[in-house]
Amino acid sequence: MTLLQRLQHADYQGPAILALTPVSYKQLINNALQLRQQYPQLQQHAVALTFSDLDSFITALLAFDGWCRALYLMPDNLADVPSAAIRWPLAQTLPALSPQNHTEPSLWYLATSGTTGTPKWIGHQAGNLSRKVKATAYSSTLRWALCYQPVRFAGMQVLLQSLLSGAAICDCSNGDMNYRISQMQRYNVNAVSATPSLWRQLLMTGQLNTLSLEQLTLGGEIADQPLLDTLSAMFPQAKLLHIYASTEAGVGFAVADKQAGFPASWLETSQNGLSFKLDAQQHLWLKPPWEPDSSLASRLDSEGFLNTEDVVMIQDDRVHFLGRASGVINVGGNKVHPEQVEQVLLQYPGVQQAKVYAKASSVLGQLVIADIVTDSTDTTTLQAALLQHCVQHLQRYQIPVKLNFVSSLVTNETGKLSRRPDAQGAS
Amino acid sequence: MELEQRIRQTLAQVAIIANCQLTDNITDDTVLLQSGLDSLGFAMLVAQLEEDLGIDPFSQMQIAVYPSTFGEFVSIYRQALVQAS
Repeated sequence: MTLLQRLQHADYQGPAILALTPVSYKQLINNALQLRQQYPQLQQHAVALTFSDLDSFITALLAFDGWCRALYLMPDNLADVPSAAIRWPLAQTLPALSPQNHTEPSLWYLATSGTTGTPKWIGHQAGNLSRKVKATAYSSTLRWALCYQPVRFAGMQVLLQSLLSGAAICDCSNGDMNYRISQMQRYNVNAVSATPSLWRQLLMTGQLNTLSLEQLTLGGEIADQPLLDTLSAMFPQAKLLHIYASTEAGVGFAVADKQAGFPASWLETSQNGLSFKLDAQQHLWLKPPWEPDSSLASRLDSEGFLNTEDVVMIQDDRVHFLGRASGVINVGGNKVHPEQVEQVLLQYPGVQQAKVYAKASSVLGQLVIADIVTDSTDTTTLQAALLQHCVQHLQRYQIPVKLNFVSSLVTNETGKLSRRPDAQGAS
Repeated sequence: MELEQRIRQTLAQVAIIANCQLTDNITDDTVLLQSGLDSLGFAMLVAQLEEDLGIDPFSQMQIAVYPSTFGEFVSIYRQALVQAS
């Protein structure tokens, strides 16, 4: 069933979007049907959806799922639309297209950041993305804050949970923390899903305790025990979940016992159809209950497990996440590939070697640090010039917060910079 | 150097590297996240102070207290330094 059919079938009566002018489920359905009538030529073509406001985004999603061949969910830092896809909202007059009879369910494409900085598109069946949705009489009473744009995996999960359970959602994906908290207060939000870094910032407003939260979800970064303890002390009756999700595998799982990591016993028994195992390098492997996207076939082992490339450690019967095997740095939920930053540093005259790695941060989980080998004697001038160079070529969260000038870099036995995360590197 | 002065100095340095425009006249009542420093700048401030002072009160607290204003921020460091000594 398409998303639209599911909502038509469920026939939810309440508001779907909380805003100055609330939008009901009925209105969303009608608007989506109108959009299809208005643009019949889009049928079976690919569209690239950009997020502007929640009402238009959901309407387009309902209209195009099951109507278009593919939906590309465009992150806002991505300028180029995949070839053959039509940008939505329309930037110009629609080119002449002939509608084709629809045969296959639409594939939804989400972008993951690639090592070169060019995103990889991974296709998902809409049904699999919404597998985790729990629709109960209780979940329909929730009022969600959408803290991330729904073109990202985390934001999409929240949006689907809200829509498919008949709950209501308000857009809190923009503005500073005080503005976001004021939106949550105004619409009486009682369910929030955010990264640990964002939760810390919400705590810093000193106003989080004015909300009557019933459900708190942490995801997108490693959830640490002090933060779980702080939130559970503030909302002792609430459901507190931390979730692990792999955008690539399109799967995730939730931990509800308010303890960091997950129980080691899960390595023995599968959870809701999801199986877990560790290899000799302490990488976590997952086997989803369905066939993953064909682009991942080469990374599956003979038993159908996918290497998540997350490094874990077992301590006191818990499996704790340490970080990415590839050395990918997670700055408050933003992924930074060290190689990409190293390439930018190495472009600068006088930089002979560069190593980029993570430093644990109690605020954003991790920060980017660089060790630099140079023949320049004036490192003060070089430092200022290098930072300027980084500002021109990198996103803000990718820029090293500290440049250490060192005489040499240690390489491992194969001559490569070692990237293995250690217990210190993760927090 | 007096702790508050030291924190102010680090704040100013970090703001330059983080490319943040600080508001004029930061007082004890200035809300940190409205001081012009965003979350990345704030993370850098805490990391730099850890190097300068040898402590990170936010990683060491069992039940974390999150400062809302500049005055609360300074006072958390003051307490943490007393406990550490």
